[in-house]
Amino acid sequence: MPPETSRRSRLRSLALDPKLLAIGLGGGLLSGLLGVGGGIVMVPLLVLWAAYPQRDAHAISLGAIIPISIAGIAAYGVAGDVRYWQALALAAGSIVGARIGAGWLARIDERVLQVVFGAFLVGVALLLGVRG
Amino acid sequence: MSGPTLYVVLVAFGVVVGVASGLLGVGGGTLVVPFLTLAVALSQHAAEATSLLVILPTAIAGSLALRRRGVGNLGLALRFGVVGAAGTVLGALLALALPASTLRLVFAVFVGLVGLRLGLDGLRRRER
Repeated sequence: MPPETSRRSRLRSLALDPKLLAIGLGGGLLSGLLGVGGGIVMVPLLVLWAAYPQRDAHAISLGAIIPISIAGIAAYGVAGDVRYWQALALAAGSIVGARIGAGWLARIDERVLQVVFGAFLVGVALLLGVRG
Repeated sequence: MSGPTLYVVLVAFGVVVGVASGLLGVGGGTLVVPFLTLAVALSQHAAEATSLLVILPTAIAGSLALRRRGVGNLGLALRFGVVGAAGTVLGALLALALPASTLRLVFAVFVGLVGLRLGLDGLRRRER
């Protein structure tokens, strides 16, 4: 099967293969344990272990964040000390930004994407290291 | 910062977070939480709770835009995310019992190494 066909059929299937199950559980576990975003864990695992193409890994990660953040809101958000006006202002900007970013993701050269994401991870690592 | 200035800065920072989220497939909490604690002086707890309310609409807007362009598979991603949500709940429970700061440092080193590996791979990769 040529790679493009296998990629298509793999993406069309809605069944979770064992690697996806493991990444979902493990990635969620780490993000819940450490208080870091799921995407930082899921994207590298999808690319380096499950061999998803870089672009698809980012798209799948973003979609997965929808149920993950709903669970987070159910668990903490309602009980937590939410600043609604500040959330609204940030979300007003980020919804516009997300559409721009998604447009870039659809077009960007995968090598450039990988380098940009690598740099982002190094930045996150420094931030986490400083925070301890 | 206070009043209108604060809200202008929040919307502008929101755009930056949204672009990073849509392009990189991350929620954006990594950017929003430090911003809310450092620049807006919210407590860690308030910043985390507030960031969740930003992440959800951002991920929905980005995912819908990607689906329109035929990138990825939203149905598969949502199922994958439900498993991830279960893991997150388990992780949050475990966090109560484990020394989180040590784990975070180990994780920081790991993320840094993965970032370097991906970045260098990307730089070395040939045009296909």
